[in-house]
Amino acid sequence: MIVAFVFGLVAAIVTGLANASMRRLVIAAGVGLLVAYFAFPFYSADGFVSRDTVSPSLFGLTPTDPVLALVLLAGIAGIAGARLPRRLGGALAAGGAIMTAVLVGTSHLRSPALGRLLPIPGLMEVLTGLALAVVITALGWGSRRLRVPFLIAGLAAGGLAFGFLASNAGHRLFPNAQGYYRLATSVPAAKQQSILDEYNASLDTINAQRNRIGLKPLEPLTSIKALDTGRLPEAASKDGYRMLRPFEQRYGVWVAMLLAGILLGGGAMLAWRPHLHETGDVAGGVLYAAVLLSLAPAFAATEFSFAKLAAGWPFLMKFLDRAWPPLWADPSYGTFGIYPLQEVASQMLITLEIALVGTFLGALFAVPLSFLAARNLTQGNVAMRAVFALTRGFFNLDRGVDTLILALIFVAAVGLGPFAGVLAMAIHSIADLGKLYSESIENVDRGPIEALEAVGASGSNVVRWSILPQVSPLFLGWTLYRFEINFRVSIVLGLVGAGGIGFFIQDKMSSGRYDQMIIAILAIIIVVNIIDFASSWLRSRLV
Amino acid sequence: MIQVSNLSKVFPDGTQALRDVSVSIPDGDFVAVIGLSGAGKSTFLRCLNRLVDPSGGAIEVDGTDVARLRGRSLQRYRRTVGFIFQQFNLVTRLSVLDNVLSGRLGYHPTWRGMLALYTDRDYELARAAIREVGLAGKEDTRVDQLSGGQQQRVAIARAMTQEPELILADEPMASLDPRLSDVILGLLRDYNQKRGVTVLVNIHVLELAKRYAKRVIAFNKGHIVFDGPVAELDGDLETTIYAGSLEAL
Repeated sequence: MIVAFVFGLVAAIVTGLANASMRRLVIAAGVGLLVAYFAFPFYSADGFVSRDTVSPSLFGLTPTDPVLALVLLAGIAGIAGARLPRRLGGALAAGGAIMTAVLVGTSHLRSPALGRLLPIPGLMEVLTGLALAVVITALGWGSRRLRVPFLIAGLAAGGLAFGFLASNAGHRLFPNAQGYYRLATSVPAAKQQSILDEYNASLDTINAQRNRIGLKPLEPLTSIKALDTGRLPEAASKDGYRMLRPFEQRYGVWVAMLLAGILLGGGAMLAWRPHLHETGDVAGGVLYAAVLLSLAPAFAATEFSFAKLAAGWPFLMKFLDRAWPPLWADPSYGTFGIYPLQEVASQMLITLEIALVGTFLGALFAVPLSFLAARNLTQGNVAMRAVFALTRGFFNLDRGVDTLILALIFVAAVGLGPFAGVLAMAIHSIADLGKLYSESIENVDRGPIEALEAVGASGSNVVRWSILPQVSPLFLGWTLYRFEINFRVSIVLGLVGAGGIGFFIQDKMSSGRYDQMIIAILAIIIVVNIIDFASSWLRSRLV
Repeated sequence: MIQVSNLSKVFPDGTQALRDVSVSIPDGDFVAVIGLSGAGKSTFLRCLNRLVDPSGGAIEVDGTDVARLRGRSLQRYRRTVGFIFQQFNLVTRLSVLDNVLSGRLGYHPTWRGMLALYTDRDYELARAAIREVGLAGKEDTRVDQLSGGQQQRVAIARAMTQEPELILADEPMASLDPRLSDVILGLLRDYNQKRGVTVLVNIHVLELAKRYAKRVIAFNKGHIVFDGPVAELDGDLETTIYAGSLEAL
């Protein structure tokens, strides 16, 4: 937490010394703080079972702790810094930043408290509709002609989205959206006491159960603050009561501290050197904020943690220990002996062959289809235009489904083995190559086409003698490029049971034979590099 | 004999490129079409082989109105018209011979063309044409290895291989070194004189038109403003032809 603050502070000061715009940083931090204040979880509020746990934002916590509203003021000060005289704006921002740092930085020291969640009905529904409307409107805003139609379409789409989410169907399909945003309010002392009494009354039953499984009995509590996770009575939890636990921090704290650091550094630098501003600071600041604000929840959602990595480090070392030295061959093993290197070689060959056949079949079908998907060849009449739309549509649909997903389906259909992999690869490659091919066709020089039309050649001969010679080296290049990708894909295909080296790896991994698996990994590293090198050398010789 | 009557062309963007153009060109004529850029001379030439579809009027070639031709019959007409482009429009990745042979595509069924099954006569015509434009020995060279002047000569050979009755050349020297103009126009004039093939050349250099053509047709803003022997061109007429050039600048 303090690390985030110091990092933000130092980063801002260093960029400021490098004469980058400080006003931009101040705006970015201001916008970031505003969003974090309203939308980012700060600390956890536990109920009876773990799915009752929610993590309110600072705004959600403000009713229990009105002083937190000062963070909102700091955010506004950051944004206002853009309009105010720069020295004043900078100083104001720095002041807000110190306030934020103190408030957020000490929040974990607060004692646990009972709070009651009050849902704000309709907020998510309105925000979703509003966001859709804003995005669609923004898409058309640049063009004078499209501005009004897009505005109308945006309002209509936003209205529809809101109407849907607010309807019964919306409640059924998105149950969490209803009353998603909740405020934590403080609970009167009398109610706190009654919940505590309820807990103490339930202790007899709880202790009887604990006794049966050999745990120590729990003592009655005198203060609600001591109520631990999972001890809140079920009925109270259902009624929306939660134990606010400030020491169980969520990522919002880190983001706010980082932003406070940036705001302090940026604000102070701006107050000291007011010339540090540029045109386009507002747009740039919003962009910075958007990047940070989308990264922070993403890191939280993916459970990124250095601690976990550090904890797992010994296992990694143990794995390497068991994998090295590789077991190249073990003739003494059982009746027949084990020859992993030989097995790796033949499985690698299968992987390569899957890639070859998959790419070849893909190219075979993609070449004719790509001519139908080339805009410049299909504007003749309505039927041709329909064919164009259909082919392009197929390409886009097909490209959306990854080879690996296709492979899972084909494994179910034609059974385990390389054939499923080949089918999946071929079908995905048709779309990918088809799109690349047709784009090459669209970029051909029109001159030779005109020339061959002028000599009275038929349509197919125009394609054959003016377009094909122009695009064939490009086609070949794209095919090689796709082969490179397909080879790497076919390694992974083995993991879903489509044969080849991936299957070997999975097999050895699950049976714990890391000393055999490592051979396959070494082989992959070598072959992938050889193929990439050979393919790019070949492609550079084309055209 | 080409008889153009009341030819007009309006492009989809509303540009009126040709207005009520009527002209008659006897067989074996060598005509220079002159005028400012944008005057309509390129559109006029392109209408004659239907690379541009006229909006109105008729183009009678030996009694047939080619302005109405479609599909196969249009291809049959086009194979008798050689067209030479300012940008050569060759397939640069193919050899000289392949490019010149493609001039014969209109004479064979589609499948023969697809499989490159040219006849011996096609090869003779192609080789003869390559010799005639002075590129003997370059048959197997890829076109992108040739200079601009050589490329335009390949394009002329391609047109000759069509055994055309009419050759249309749209500013054939405009992308070349000015010194090469005489080579290109000389080739076209020789072809015209030896074979009696009608030649129409768009030229924006008046001096060249005077030197090579028997007859000059001048366009201004889509109209024909002069049509007659070279000798009749004088200063006043030239002023008329190039009227508005300052506006254009």
